[in-house]
Amino acid sequence: MIFGGSRTLLLLLLFATAAVADEPAGWDMTRLMQDLAQVKIAKGRFVERKYLGILTAPLESSGTLIYIAPSRLEKHTLTPHDESLVLEGDRLTIESQQTKRRRTLLLQDYPVIWMFVESIRSTLAGDRALLQRFYEITLEGEERKWRLVLKPIDPKMQELISEIRIGGSHSRIDSIEFFESGGDRSVMTITRDVP
Amino acid sequence: MTAAQRWCSAAWLVFVVASIAVVARTTFTTDISAFLPRSPTPEQRILVEQLREGVVSRLVLIGIEGGSPEALARASKQMAAELRKHETFVSVDNGDDAGSAGDREFLWRNRYLLSSAVTPERFSAPALRERLEENLRLLGSPAGALVRRIVPSDPSGELLQILERFEGQARPATRDGVWFSRDSRRALLLAQTRAAGYDIDAQERSLALVRSAFAQAGAGDAKLLLSGPGVFSVSTRASIRHDAMRFSLIATALIAGLLLAIYRSPRLLGLGLLPIGSGAVAGIAAVSLGFGAVHGITLGFGVTLIGECVDYAIYLFTQAAPGVAPQRALDRIWPTLRLGVLTSICGFSAMLFSGFSGLAQLGLFSITGLVVAVAVTRWVLPAWLPPRFTAPVVASIGPWVTAVVRRAPVLRYPLLLGVALVAVMLAAHKGPLWSDDLASLSPVSRADQMLDQQMRRDIGAPDVRFLVVIHAQEEETALQASEAIGEMLRRASLAGLLEGYDSPSDYFPSRQSQLARQRALPAAEELRANLGRALQGLPFRPQVFEPFLKDAAAAKRMPLIDRGSLQRTRFALRLDTLLVPRESGWVAMLPLREVKDAAGVARDISAPPGARAVLLDLKHESDQLYRTYRAEALTYSLLGAAAIVLLLFASLRSPRRVFDVLAPLAAAVLATTGLLSLGGHPLSIFHLVGLLLVVAIGSNYSLFFDRQAPSGSDRERTIVSLLFANATSVIGFGLLAFSRVPVLHDIGMTVATGTILTLAFSAILGRRDGRA
Repeated sequence: MIFGGSRTLLLLLLFATAAVADEPAGWDMTRLMQDLAQVKIAKGRFVERKYLGILTAPLESSGTLIYIAPSRLEKHTLTPHDESLVLEGDRLTIESQQTKRRRTLLLQDYPVIWMFVESIRSTLAGDRALLQRFYEITLEGEERKWRLVLKPIDPKMQELISEIRIGGSHSRIDSIEFFESGGDRSVMTITRDVP
Repeated sequence: MTAAQRWCSAAWLVFVVASIAVVARTTFTTDISAFLPRSPTPEQRILVEQLREGVVSRLVLIGIEGGSPEALARASKQMAAELRKHETFVSVDNGDDAGSAGDREFLWRNRYLLSSAVTPERFSAPALRERLEENLRLLGSPAGALVRRIVPSDPSGELLQILERFEGQARPATRDGVWFSRDSRRALLLAQTRAAGYDIDAQERSLALVRSAFAQAGAGDAKLLLSGPGVFSVSTRASIRHDAMRFSLIATALIAGLLLAIYRSPRLLGLGLLPIGSGAVAGIAAVSLGFGAVHGITLGFGVTLIGECVDYAIYLFTQAAPGVAPQRALDRIWPTLRLGVLTSICGFSAMLFSGFSGLAQLGLFSITGLVVAVAVTRWVLPAWLPPRFTAPVVASIGPWVTAVVRRAPVLRYPLLLGVALVAVMLAAHKGPLWSDDLASLSPVSRADQMLDQQMRRDIGAPDVRFLVVIHAQEEETALQASEAIGEMLRRASLAGLLEGYDSPSDYFPSRQSQLARQRALPAAEELRANLGRALQGLPFRPQVFEPFLKDAAAAKRMPLIDRGSLQRTRFALRLDTLLVPRESGWVAMLPLREVKDAAGVARDISAPPGARAVLLDLKHESDQLYRTYRAEALTYSLLGAAAIVLLLFASLRSPRRVFDVLAPLAAAVLATTGLLSLGGHPLSIFHLVGLLLVVAIGSNYSLFFDRQAPSGSDRERTIVSLLFANATSVIGFGLLAFSRVPVLHDIGMTVATGTILTLAFSAILGRRDGRA
């Protein structure tokens, strides 16, 4: 009886997965990731606002974002300070014009920073496997206006970040929100660069 | 047996029993540093001491490889948790939070005492304003998420200031929360044992714990790699024990077989082994009395003594002619035998004065062994020999050997030509003939040394080449001097002379500095007022900095950092390495990173009053140390050789005969050096000692060849006895050449080659007239 019961369950499960996989026109996480992976180069302007509990007003910064598939991501902040952050493979280089300092980190030495930057890069690359290594992902919305919600799995990351929301349309990302565990949050809106 | 002979036998028995009693109470050591030179300068003494018992000597580097990174990380965590339960280890680090949480806590709690930026000006309103604006910038930067939490408690940025000091230090890579090699193939742990590195028994127990923890961790097919000074001492002791035991047994068996084959008499076999046994026991007893303990390698060397001492019995047995009492035969060869023993002693006494206590032990052991063996042969053995004894083997192979020897001089000119060629070759030798590397003396194999270096690099404990060594009477003075010199080094690094440095005062500032920093913090009300002024017009919420005001007020009254405060941190280990108590005060060490201009750095540093400071180049020092000892070994060898020449002149009283005795020896030494250098490896001090032994042992052969032989049959017996004597020496030393311990291997190789050549050359260069 027990065997019979579980076999029925298994068959049901197989049918269910088959049904999902067979749906031809359905837009889902797999499609979104495939679409994102098609993009080989993306450029945009960003405006970032940080709402911090210790400050009475948000901190605002702006600059440009460049993504080159599969693993290069550049964030150049132009105001209020010239600062750049370049991620290439497993190296993260931070350079500040103001302090004239340049630091290169190996991501595997700094797991939290790695998880942090990977939320954006893996989304841009459509690398679902890597995203799922660090986050529990849910997809909301539809192809024209979607939102990925990433919740960190690692306890150390959970101490810092409670949720990351990445919003977009088709294969383009237009907003990234970080919700910090202490209640602070930052919102980055990205507009396509007009060449 | 005459009354005199009985007395001799009785005296011998008493002597052997007494020696055995001493040996029974002897302690045996395998401390590697016996084969490190005794250090002549205070700096070098610090190094050797550190090698013996310093923190460095207590480190065990542990690697786990052969598995998925996840599996290796799991095994690393389990092993660390298991090992931390044991008192045997002071600390076990694998990069997990168990270690670093303590570090963070310590730095955070003591930030106002540790930060060298804490000065009265730092907490004035304008300075605070500047720091707050910088904080705003940081909050907006990518690092914002990381600094946001500490800003309310540390707006002046003392923690960042401290962390920046440590930034240049090598750090192991991490993966899955634990240390890994850069290629993620090997998980790494670093354990520190409570026992000193020279306590090999304790080290062995610690390693057994590590192995069982690894077995419990169930890492599947993964392999455990161990390295570090303790690991090396344990494995060296094991290989010395193994080699000493194995080669002694094999040599004894082979030589016993040879004696049995030659003399066909169990009684003679027993008698032949008597001088060896007596000599070995007396040798060990002498070393025990002279040095307080006997080194394992000295015992290993006992093997060679077997080959050497058995010669005397062989001379006695083989020289016994039909119809002549053994005592008479012995009386005939005694002058030559005595001279041979004396030349051997001259050779070995050069070792007695060696700076390596290990070699000095070998010298004493050999001299005592030889003297006792020859005395037993001279005064005890003849009484026990059958009265009409003669060795049948002489009759069977004698004529054949004599024929060969008679024709040998044909090779005289080819030999001289060959030796001349070798001399030319050695003179034109490209590359170093003698090794300049102290590591050539290390009993640790090259492969193990490579593994050790690699694991050290991965774990961020690289070998340091340059360090500033500071001596002072008091710990406090040493720390103050470290701070003063640290400041000079900081300026030198800004000028590009070096990349950075590490200092004990980074973890443990002097009391003077700590008190000055406490005084530099303004009183609570003043600080509040300064902060209020600094905050005007900035977007920080009021009340945000209450934690800062509270912490600063507490820091002003908190107890100063002492060694105890560091206990639960990984800095304790670092401090114990960098700040060391000595009989005459304290020594602080500041390792330098990436020195580009050593002379410039040396010029820039000077110790404040009450302290002395020197810039030490470890590579240079250890090379220097080695060169000094090689020069010393060479000097003593030459003195030994000179003593042998003088002795020969005094005994033979004929320059011509001295030349005849020395010519084969000189040719053999040259040819042996040539053969050894053919391999392309530079020669070590141990090869040099081996050459000395070739002279000491080989002189016996050339002396016997040179001896006036009264008759043809007497000469025949002499030659056969030399052949057997040489065979036993080659067996004894030749076996050592198979040892993995460099000192045994190098000496064995050299002596086995050299003695064969000496015998052959003695025959070739021997004169054709009445002498053999």
